[in-house]
Formats: sequence, structure tokens, C-alpha cells
Amino acid sequence: MKRIGVFVCHCGTNIANTVDCANVAEVAKDFPGVVYSCDYKYMCSEPGQVMIQEAIREHNLDGYVVAACSPRMHEPTFRKCAERAGMNPYMVEQVNIREQCSWVHADKTKGTGKSIDITRMGVAKVAQNEPLFSTTIPVTKRALVIGAGIAGIQAAIDIADAGYPVTLLDREHSMGGKMAQVDKTFPTLDCSACILTPKMVEAAQHPNIEIVTYAEVEAVDGFVGNFDVTIRKKARYVDVNKCTGCGLCSEKCPKKVASEFEMNLGTRKAIYVPFPQAVPNKPVIDAKNCRFLLDGKCGVCKKVCPTGAVDYEQKDEVIVERFGSIVVATGFEQFDISKYEEYGAGRIPDVITGLHLERLMNASGPTMGKIKRPSDGKVPEKIVFIKCVGSRDEAKGRPYCSRACCMYVAKHATLIKEKIPTSKSYIFYMDVRTAGKNYEEFYARTQNEYDAQYIRGRVSKIFQVGDKLIVRGEDSLLGRPVEIEADLVVLAAGMDPQQDAKDLARTLGISYDQHGWFTEAHPKLRPVETHTAGIFLAGACQGPKDIPDSVAQASAAAVKAAGLLSKKELTAEAQTAGCNEAYCSGCGLCVAICPYKAIELKRISERVHGGTRERQVSSVNQGLCQGCGACSVACPSSAMNLKGFSNDQILAEVDALCQR
Amino acid sequence: MSDNMRNNVRDNMGHMNNQLTQEMRDLARELLASGEVKGLFGWTKGSRWYLTPPVFITKPEEADRLCYDEFAVNNLTGLLLDFRDSQDKIAVFVKGCDSRGIVRLVQDNQLKRENIVVIGVPCPGMGDKGAVTDHRQAQELPLLAKCLECRYPNPVLADRTIGAVTVTTEPSAAPSGATAEAAKGRGVGSKEADRFAQVEAIEKMSPDERYAFWQAQNKKCIRCYACRNICPACNCRECIFDSDKKNWVNKAATPTDNAFFGITRAMHVAGRCVECGECERVCPMDIPIMAMNRKLIGDLNELFGPYDAGVKADEKPPLGAFKLDDPEEFM
Amino acid sequence: MSAVDEKKVNAAGQPDPNWEPNIVGFACNWCTYAGADLAGLSRMQYPPNVKLIRVPCSGRANPQFVLRAFQKGADGVLVAGCHPGDCHYATGNYFTRRRFLLFQRLLEFSGIDPRRFQARWISGAEAPKFRDVVTQMAEEVKALGPNRKLREEL
Repeated sequence: MKRIGVFVCHCGTNIANTVDCANVAEVAKDFPGVVYSCDYKYMCSEPGQVMIQEAIREHNLDGYVVAACSPRMHEPTFRKCAERAGMNPYMVEQVNIREQCSWVHADKTKGTGKSIDITRMGVAKVAQNEPLFSTTIPVTKRALVIGAGIAGIQAAIDIADAGYPVTLLDREHSMGGKMAQVDKTFPTLDCSACILTPKMVEAAQHPNIEIVTYAEVEAVDGFVGNFDVTIRKKARYVDVNKCTGCGLCSEKCPKKVASEFEMNLGTRKAIYVPFPQAVPNKPVIDAKNCRFLLDGKCGVCKKVCPTGAVDYEQKDEVIVERFGSIVVATGFEQFDISKYEEYGAGRIPDVITGLHLERLMNASGPTMGKIKRPSDGKVPEKIVFIKCVGSRDEAKGRPYCSRACCMYVAKHATLIKEKIPTSKSYIFYMDVRTAGKNYEEFYARTQNEYDAQYIRGRVSKIFQVGDKLIVRGEDSLLGRPVEIEADLVVLAAGMDPQQDAKDLARTLGISYDQHGWFTEAHPKLRPVETHTAGIFLAGACQGPKDIPDSVAQASAAAVKAAGLLSKKELTAEAQTAGCNEAYCSGCGLCVAICPYKAIELKRISERVHGGTRERQVSSVNQGLCQGCGACSVACPSSAMNLKGFSNDQILAEVDALCQR
Repeated sequence: MSDNMRNNVRDNMGHMNNQLTQEMRDLARELLASGEVKGLFGWTKGSRWYLTPPVFITKPEEADRLCYDEFAVNNLTGLLLDFRDSQDKIAVFVKGCDSRGIVRLVQDNQLKRENIVVIGVPCPGMGDKGAVTDHRQAQELPLLAKCLECRYPNPVLADRTIGAVTVTTEPSAAPSGATAEAAKGRGVGSKEADRFAQVEAIEKMSPDERYAFWQAQNKKCIRCYACRNICPACNCRECIFDSDKKNWVNKAATPTDNAFFGITRAMHVAGRCVECGECERVCPMDIPIMAMNRKLIGDLNELFGPYDAGVKADEKPPLGAFKLDDPEEFM
Repeated sequence: MSAVDEKKVNAAGQPDPNWEPNIVGFACNWCTYAGADLAGLSRMQYPPNVKLIRVPCSGRANPQFVLRAFQKGADGVLVAGCHPGDCHYATGNYFTRRRFLLFQRLLEFSGIDPRRFQARWISGAEAPKFRDVVTQMAEEVKALGPNRKLREEL
């Protein structure tokens, strides 16, 4: 039988006013195992704690209950107090007779009765407590950043500047992400390439950054401080060490296909770099379109390459590397506008998206920066913008605001007016949201100085008559229908999560919301952390964001990641699950339910009837386990149990509460 | 049914059983003689004409002990647990309902699929030996309720088959193979729609009547654990009801401890019960255990979408999964 | 008759009007327990019948704990945790929801009034909801009277 102490706190008058503390302490003396019980004005005060420590020594206590305020408030205090007296901190239980008794039950008899009940519960639990010990985990001082868009680049640079090696990975063959496709950036109208390219170069030349492009994360094992990441480096068919990026191969390649980077408005070759400022500026062969790889005819690129870098035999390479922390910065995809059939989207060539327009305006784009409409190359005079396409639309399953469109439409209207002074832009909107520094001012200029006409209302239909697009909608402020004969319609397509975001989330063991945006650990207080320790979020993969917000979040994630790497070792949670291998049948029900992928099945061998037999059992990774206890409920044989909230402890509490 | 027809049915059944038994023995002999398997679970003729209990054989010459007829009711898959950590390859005969037990055990990592040779057997429907009064009614015995309600008369998986039975994961498929006609004639699956009849009858009672109903069952229970021991879903290495260290419940068979056992057993197989009905069949106290299991199956289907445990190995049990938009009754 | 039972039934065997139900509550540390603490900080008043056992997550609550509580004489059991989507451990309460939706129906099927076992989502901010839930549950269970079902014989 354990020797248990009970310490009842008055909390000044907070508890003592409506709970007879002396009575609670007196009654507690008769609880099984209690060898000492007292009450005191402030248990958390220095004299209070000294009193507890003296009692521990004097009465040789194995554990104690403090009946006071919420354990959410002072549990660490009383645990440390025990530790200072040489008692294992997990031999302490705090029961809450303030927030859940004295403050909510004015009737002193009732409040005292409940206090006695829950003190009995605490004593019963302590009788089942066992000393617990935290383990420490080593930290691999190296970070992985997944996604080399602006958020990933920023996060990588910040971690690298803090002095830690970073691997910056992207599945495309150049860094840059969506920002590389953008022409100019709001609200300053800087050329996107002019501010992005130096960042890409900085990252590429940083001594602490290794760039791994054209590669994907296949599997993630391990846990905070020690993630073992399996990376597939896709075959580029070009030896990057030999290639100088001269571009002769692309020039001579006879195969032309639509360029994804140019939103299919321009062409590229089968061996190509996606855009002129690409980093690394080394081409890949698109195996699906290469004549040589398809049917062995051609081979021009190999013939013309002056350094012999083209290698048709190259295969995917799979590597496993260990990282201490991971920043996920995989960004977004533009919403697929073909879901809006009423706008002729995807059918009518002159109904385009914002990103299409970015390419049409870009000086190195398919039209050399001249805005020509895709169908006939005519310069448009009347341009209609429709906002919230794939945003704030429950019917299309996109109830959220994409946040950047209001500003990029204003930017587009401004730039079009600059490029085509005779043009006129009409902008259909639901609301205009310009919550950002200098955003509202920009929006005001678009209306006042650039003559953009904002029409509040939704467009119901777009159809072609001759070479015009008839845009039919409603002006809801005037309450009347409007019809505009437009030359070009630009849909402000919203942001979607990457199509395979959920797959990556499962690989990483992080959570995502109903749309596929990765979920932060807390929407307000832990916005760049995930529920999985050591994995952080940056940029639009967590939810729609514009460039300034993405960069800010990236730096925040970098601080978190670098902070983790700066630690000598990590202290793991002590109240974790543990498996009793003698009971475990290795069924794996716990493995499926664990939100942290902390449980693995391992093989153990044991001696049976003089022979050795192997069998499978669950094994909890103490570094990964966060102590939620889901596994211990999923386990039908009670082989899995949560330390600190074990079956025995909770049953003892139940029994104690029911015993009146 | 005229006497003549009855005699015909009887003769046909007898002939068929002989033929299936012969196929069974041949295959068993082949598997054991070639060394492909170390042992084999099948059925043998028992001490009474209405008993065809399980048998485990390891030598080709023992193959002649095998027998198959409409009393080979035991689900043999649970017996495979004796070999759960063994590297030995074992063969087992399965009827449609039994075969789901294999999926259960493989899903629960208790068996390696590659260590089991599953032999599918066509099923004529199993006779209810509880209705036996004298031996002349052998073929007129009513079917077991579970066979009348059968939804999987054909094996859902098999490495080998006898009697030309078809392997299918389709629910409510027609009985196939050598016994197909007999099964149809005897009414296998004819009362499939009544599967939840008992559950519904209990649900119609008042709460106090329901409690009294179960309390009466709990008073009967002797905690022999036969229901657990036969169950392919109850495959824990050590059951919480066996261990005195786990502190969940008293070993004494009091109604309250029996209720704890009964409800806990049901929750532990919830979403994992393969509906072989063996628990109820083996209960010496005639406790309607399947009513509890069916209640959970019906509710799981209604709450989280249709799911038949032990049919497809890649479909995980519903309590080990969730959807973000599961029904929300807790507000 | 033990002293325990005397509290619930008076000398004439009639229900004691002063009888108060004993309700065991399982509260997740991050939401419901915090909600209860907030009710205290806000000095909300509610009846003392529900006593909370703190668990890390509502997903830690095992249906067997509920059975044990009834066995040992609880008149009602409450399981409460974070709203779906808010779980501190990301997914724990989704499993809670499935498990206890099913379990509540099974209890009902066994003859237990569903008001004796309830599950609720109460966030750390929902102090008024915590107060209302425990008040309502205390009233409901009081109206039902002492629970005898599943109880072990003394």
C-alpha cells in the first residue's frame, strides 16, 4: 500500500469561503492509503510548497493529492514541488476544488461534499500511479523544405541563415512555384521575376542549402528530430553535372508541345527548361513527349549537346535521408474553371483565368507581353473580370475566400489600362476585400485613376455572338440586369489545395481539412505548427494566401524549425502509451487509430516449449507518442495502456466516485 | 413434399455428400503427401449421425477420416489461431460463411495469408441438430436459422475449391457448385430479409422489458466463454476476461459481471463480426448472442454506411476509421 | 440495507425527495475540462452532481469505463470532449463519436435509458454550455431516479 498525503488548499478565501477545507482534510484521513492530510491557505506559495516537501520527508510519502485549483493551472508547480523533495513528479495528482467546486457551488454543504468525493477520486488514482520518466531524443540538425515556391525558398533561406543545412525540394524541375508565373505583384507592381529570381539564386548559392528539384517525397518514417524521408529523384535524362544550361538541345528539339508554365498559351520543346530564369537552369526531357524515349527515333538533343549531358538511360533514383524538422510549403493549384459551365469556361477560348492573363501580360510570355486574346490574337478593348470563381461558392464546394483574387483583379485592371489605354474593364464582384497594407489604396486607384468599373453582382451566363462574348448578369446595387459585350473575360479563379495534398498529408502524418488544406495545430496560437511535432507549414498549402502572407508565414515556420534544430536533445512526453508485449496479439487496431503514426508492429522472438518463435507486437515510439490514449481504447486485450491515465488509474477513479 | 420426392432429395444429398467427401479426401491427401501443407483442418464423422465435428490431420493416410455433410457446421477458421505464430502452412476447408473468418484473421494480422491454403466448399445449408428426435428425419431437419438468413453461401476467397463452388465477394449471390440445387431447395438464404427480425422485436419492447430480457440471459450465462473461443473475431492473445491483472470485471458469473462481459464482447467484435453465427450456436445456455451482434451491425450500417466484415481484406473495420461528416448526434 | 441505499429510499420504501443523482463525467483535458474551468472563473452556478474525471482526450474514454460506472452505482455517465475538428490530437474525437454513437444505441438496446449515458461536445470557450449540459443532465437523471440497471448487487 502506498503512503499518500493529502493537501487541501484554501486559495485564500477562493476555496475556503464555500468549501470546508478543514473538513475535507479531516475526512481524507480515512481514505485508503492516506497517512497524512492537512489544509493550508496557499498550497502553491513558497511556504505551502515547503510544507508539502517537509511532509513528504517526515511521513515518507509515496505520492500525494493536492486539492486546489485546476491542474491546468498548477499541475506543473506541484509536480516540480514533488521533484524537489525527491519524489517522482508523476506521483502527484491535483484535484480541482476551486473552478469545479467552490466557485460553482454556493452551497457550502454541497461544495464540501463534492470536494470530498473528488479528493477521494484523486487518492484512489495516486494509489495506482507509477513513477514516470521522460526520455530524450537526439536531433538531426538538418531541415527539409518541401516545395520551392516563394514560401519554401524563404523558409529555406531563413533556416540556412540560422546556420543549419537545408534540403529544398520541388517536384518541378525549377524552383519558383506559382510566383514564377506571375507577371507583376500587388500592391507595388514590382515585376515578379525581378524579386523572385534573386531569391532563387540566393537559395541556390547558399552554402547551407541543397536544391533537389524534379523530386518527390515518397515516404516519411521516424519522428521529430529524426525523420527518415524517402525521396524519389525523377529521371531527368540530363546529367546536371555535365549540363551547362546552354540551351542548344531545346533549340534543336523537333518536338513542340503546349507549355504548362505558359498555361498552354505557348509552346515548349520535349527537352526544356520551363522559363528563362529557371533555377537550376538545366533542362529535363519530358519522357511522355520525347520521340527518342517513345519510339527510339530522333536523338537530336544527344547529338547536339556539346558536353554529352543527355542520357536516355537515366533512371529514377530513390534516396533516404534523415532530417530533424520538415517545413511543408507545397502551395496551391488554381481552381479548375471548367466546373463553371455557365461561363463557357474551358470551352470558349477567350474566357480565361487570372494566371492566363499573367502570362499574356508577361514580357517573356507567349505574346511578348502584348495582350492578345487567345482565339484570334485581337487586342481586347472591353474586358470583363468575374471574381469569386471557385471561391465563396457553396454550390461548387468552395465556401472559402481565396484572399488574393480581389487584389490581383485590381492589379490586372490597372495593368491592362496601362497597356491598352483605350480599354475598359468591368469587374463583377460580391464584395471587395482589401485587408492588407496599402491594398485599399491600390483598389481606390484602380477605380479612380484607371477607370475600372466595379459592378456588384453575379454573372449568370456567358455566351459567344460573333467574335463578342455576351456577359449577362445582374447589378444587385441597381437591381437590374446588365449585359456587356466583351472581347475578353477573365475569371478570377480561386485557390484549390494541390490535388495530391491529401496523399502528402498521409505520408507526413499531418491532418487536413475537408478541402485538403493542411491543418495548423491551433488556428490562432500555433498557426505554423502541425499536430505532428517537427513538421511545420508555410504558405498556401495551409490555406489561400498572397505573397506577403506566404513569406511571413515561411519565416515563422523557419524560426520554429530552426528553434527545434538548435536544441541539444528533445524531451519526450512522459505520459505516453506503452505496450505489454505479453498480452499483445499484434492485431494492429492501435496502429490504424494513432494520429501520430507512433505505433509500429515489430517482430519479437520468444522461447516457447524449448524452441524460438517469432511473433508480431505493437511498439510505441516514445518520441512520437503525444499521449492521447486512443490506442489504449482501440486495444481489445488491454495490452496497450496509457501511462498517467492507465486503465487501472481511471477505473480506480470511477470506483472512488461511485462509492458514496 | 411427397414421400417419393423426399426420398429423391435424400438420395441426391447422400450421393452429393459422398462425392464431396471423396473430393475432400483426394485433395487433402494430395496436399499432405506433396508436403505443400503441414496439416489440415476439416470435418470428420462423429459419434452420432448428426455430428460432424472438426478434425485436424497431418498425414496423407488420415485423409480418409474426412467427411462432409449437412452437419459440418463448425467454422474451422478460429482453430487456425493455434498456428498464428507458426511458419507452417496449414490448409482449411471453408464454407461461405466460414470464409469471412479467414479475412478477419488476416486483417487482424493473426495469420499470414500465404501460410494458409483456403479450400472453398459448396454448402447445402446446415441442419439444425437441435431439432433431432429420431434418425429417420435426417434430411427433413430444418436448416439452422443462420443458414436461412445466409448472405454469403459461397466462399469470399479460396486458393482451391471442391464441388465446383464459385468464389465471390458479392453479397446475396445464389448458392453455387455441387450443392447449389440442394441449398436452394432447402431454403439457404431464403430468410435473408429476416436477419434483423429479432433485433427489431427486442427494439419494440419497452426499456424495462429489454433490460429484463437481457437480465434473464445474463442470469443464464455461465461464462464458459465458448462464444469467445469459437469466434474468429475474438482473436486476442489474452482476453481481458481471462486476466486477473487487467481488473476489468469479476470472474464470478453474476448477472452484472455477465452483462459487462456480454456488452464488452459485443463492442469488441463491433464492425469485425463476420456473422458466422457460431457464438450463438455453441452457447450451451441458448443466449441469443447474435441479436447483440446484429444490433451493432445494423447500427454500423445505418450510421456509417454499409459494411460487411471479413469480405474484402482492404476494407478496414468501421470503428478503426472515421469520416469528417459522420452522423452528429452528440451536440 | 446499507447506509448507501438509505440515502435513496426512505423508511417507507418511497423514493427520497432529497435523493441526488451521482453522475460520472469524462472530460477531455483540452476542451471540456477547460470549459468547466472557465465556468468556474465566470462563477457560473450549477448542481454538483456531475464529477469530472480528467482524461487527455475523449478518445481515451473506453465504453468499459461507462459500464464500470453503472456497475458501481453511477446514475448517469457523461463523456465530453472537443468539437469534431478541434481535437488537440487531431482525430481522437472522430473515433469517440463513432464508438459512442454505437455504444449509446447498444446500451439502449440493453434497456438503459439513453439519458443516463450522454456524450457532448463542449469547447474550452463554452462555459455556458458546460453549465447547461451538467444542469440538464442532473435534472434528467434525477427525474429518472436511482439507476439499478447493470448495478452490482451489494
